Amino acid sequence: MEEWQKKHILGIKDFSRQEIETVLSLADSFKEISEREVKKVPALRGKTIVNLFFEYSTRTRTSFELAAKRLSADVVNFSFSTSSLTKGETIVDTIKNLEAYHPDIMIMRIGVGACLKSFSQYTQASLINAGDGNNEHPTQALLDMFTVKEIKGTLENLNVLIVGDIAHSRVARSNIFGFQKFSSNITVCGPTSLIPYEFEKIGVKVSNDFDKEIESADIIMMLRIQKERQGATFFPTLREYVDRFSLTPQRLKKAKKDSLVMHPGPVNWDVEISSSLKEKVHPLILKQAENGLAIRMAALYLVGTKKREI
Amino acid sequence: MSNKKEIKKILSKDDIKRTLYRLAHQIVEKSSSSEEIALVGIQTRGVYLARRIQSIIKEIEGKDVPLGVLDITLYRDDLTVLGPKPIVKETKLAFDLSDKVVILVDDVLYTGRTVRAALNEIMDFGRPKRVEFLVLVDRGFRELPIRADYVGKNIPTSRQEVVEVNLEESDCNDEVVVIKNMD
Amino acid sequence: MKLLIKNSILVNANETIKANLLIENGKIISIGKDIKEADKEIDAKGKHIFPGFIDLHTHLRTPGREGEEDILSGSTAAAKGGFTTILCTPNTEPAIDNEGLAKWIREESQSVGLIDIYPIGAITMNREGKKLTEFGALKKAGCLALSDDGVSVEDTLVLRRAYEYAKMFDLLVISHCEDSQLSHGGSMRESFISSKYGIAGIPDIAESLIVARNIELAKYLGARIHLAHISSAKSIEIIKRAKKEGVKVTAETCPHYFTLTIDDLEREGFPGNYKVNPPLGDKKDLIAIKKALADGTIDCIATDHAPHSLAEKELPFELAPFGFIGLEMAFSLTNSYLVKDKTLSLEDVANKLSTQPAAIARLDKRGKIAQGYIADLVITDLTRKWKVEGKNLASKSMNTPFLGHELEGTIEQTIKKGKVIYSRLKD
Repeated sequence: MEEWQKKHILGIKDFSRQEIETVLSLADSFKEISEREVKKVPALRGKTIVNLFFEYSTRTRTSFELAAKRLSADVVNFSFSTSSLTKGETIVDTIKNLEAYHPDIMIMRIGVGACLKSFSQYTQASLINAGDGNNEHPTQALLDMFTVKEIKGTLENLNVLIVGDIAHSRVARSNIFGFQKFSSNITVCGPTSLIPYEFEKIGVKVSNDFDKEIESADIIMMLRIQKERQGATFFPTLREYVDRFSLTPQRLKKAKKDSLVMHPGPVNWDVEISSSLKEKVHPLILKQAENGLAIRMAALYLVGTKKREI
Repeated sequence: MSNKKEIKKILSKDDIKRTLYRLAHQIVEKSSSSEEIALVGIQTRGVYLARRIQSIIKEIEGKDVPLGVLDITLYRDDLTVLGPKPIVKETKLAFDLSDKVVILVDDVLYTGRTVRAALNEIMDFGRPKRVEFLVLVDRGFRELPIRADYVGKNIPTSRQEVVEVNLEESDCNDEVVVIKNMD
Repeated sequence: MKLLIKNSILVNANETIKANLLIENGKIISIGKDIKEADKEIDAKGKHIFPGFIDLHTHLRTPGREGEEDILSGSTAAAKGGFTTILCTPNTEPAIDNEGLAKWIREESQSVGLIDIYPIGAITMNREGKKLTEFGALKKAGCLALSDDGVSVEDTLVLRRAYEYAKMFDLLVISHCEDSQLSHGGSMRESFISSKYGIAGIPDIAESLIVARNIELAKYLGARIHLAHISSAKSIEIIKRAKKEGVKVTAETCPHYFTLTIDDLEREGFPGNYKVNPPLGDKKDLIAIKKALADGTIDCIATDHAPHSLAEKELPFELAPFGFIGLEMAFSLTNSYLVKDKTLSLEDVANKLSTQPAAIARLDKRGKIAQGYIADLVITDLTRKWKVEGKNLASKSMNTPFLGHELEGTIEQTIKKGKVIYSRLKD
């Protein structure tokens, strides 16, 4: 295995195909640890890992926390409300103050995008992006790819269909950058008003026709829709959104028999996916979450054991 | 700078076979009928050796000895100093460790750090009755107070030399060689 | 007291002369090769002298945010950048929408005594876009122009009334062109890059739509208008057409639009110091801006000097405030980027930084080195390099994307009414 080069994990944009494969193969080994009696290995013993969350999230934060603890690291959690971004102590000051703890890794989630690279200059720690605005959520995409690989055996030449609020989805972006590196065909499908400007330039097919695209999809990735979006004039009503872009039993019938339905969670049943499909699709969605832990352990392991430059 | 290497063959394919048979007999002899043994191979070549010993014991005693595989990468003491990271392979101990005599199996015993890591990892799986260690080649230069209970061959080496154990399962053929860099 | 400036190359918009200058009582009294005695002498050592630069667009942050800039620091920064006259915008706290504040700005700047500062009065009360300010009173108090800068006057009827009413006073109405519904929430130019990173974008039509609207209005009313900080190729097309039709429209652009694009923004990792409104454009906008400067579609270069505190600019990109400081870098950037690649000649530089602004603001006896004109002069060194660093800057704020950049072209001395107000060697 080649030496892991990245100090930070900020986005799949910066990952090579090789690097993605490294994380996925490591995650396999880490999955086994969760099945042991003693669910702990000493790989990151004594490392200090800080969860610095400026956006509310229990799931991702807990996932990272548990991943860190299973690697024997010490974890500290800092949660700030979104409003504190502009009031009170600045993020830069917060990061600088945290340096007193000599953190080895900082896991950050923040409601605005593309700012983590700027913040990395204020700390010696490795930064892992747990979601920055609409930009990227690298560990989510990695766990999605890991899940697909587990079941399909490959990431090559798959037809990936991503459905929903593409414009505001960091999950969509990270997955697009990831699957692209494996020559998969990616289609994004959603209301035109929620497809970003000139998005085809990123290398995806753009569509508004869920019924048509679902027929050829190997992977159907449903995205969360924030109910508040309808207030911002992107689409008139939730009803109309659901009518065109919800995964209903009728639509699913058109899909390939072995297609996978995925969702980053938590699911808004009867908005993104009909609740009548719950029994059928929920198991894989839960598996995604389980894989998330292994992926995050792999991510922490790789940056946490990286040779420190003096 | 010449890349000349001096390669000395220490054990041939037949030598290895005979050694493994001898070791298997030693294990059987040492263990009493009241004790249950289990073999745990350390990835990667320790696993191949453990498998071979398992089948030899079956051959000579008709006894089925449980086999586990152990990857010690995550227990290493040098993770932050290593450059390229080794691939983490499978770890599987599908049996209860308590009341068993666990025999760790590896190809080469050198500094002893691998065994230290293996011991720590085994302890996280349970509390064996006893842990013993079998190694094909002991080349000296211990850095920790570790010793093997079963040794295939003692090979005195110098620090400039490298002991290479090749096994059919992963390399071209069975042999043990000592390689010296002539610089 | 007579001041002689010798061994200089005088650069005007339409001519370059190798001659000496004689100055008395703040005026240029003679230009020629053989000037006799003077009481004081400055040896320009062969350097180029331009008419003092005039900025039609500076945010002095006074009153209200003197921590970011005040009249003294702003004047000093201007002098360091070769600017001898600036017009300061009314988007202060409170806004300069009354004669009292306008007068105060004039008086304060005079008491600091470095450069001439003229306030730009707000078009509407508190810049809310509803009720017109007292144009007459503002003019009397010293305003040379009106603007709601920072925002557009969204209500077209209000803007119509403003254009009509201003005509009576021959007051220039300067427009910040931005459709705030389209730009709402955006932090950078809407583009493939903003889509790639999920950053809310500001489409270029947010500017060009208002440019078009304002030009149509001006055409209809025969009004004289000036368009602030033009940043896009689309706007330039519209302005070009309008000028051909004889509409009395002038336009300015800022150095960042002919030096930086969204590619730079992406490459640098979206630092707060690269955030500005109107946002940086793409490559084709930059090329169009350069062309427009060369062919006169854009009449002048203004700085849109907008100081912001470090804490604010350290905020994540999407939350950081918009704006760059620019007084101290404008000439160097123009020299390094436009003169270097021959987009502009040195005479064009005099035109864009001094002559045109003087004409647009109707500043008498300024913008040219000529007999009888006010002795506002800038002695420059065109080849000297300098690094933009916090400690080199006179402005109270340091928010510029050019921090750490090396630029070519320095201001050696700035002379205001015959008095040296800045000298690099003494800095």
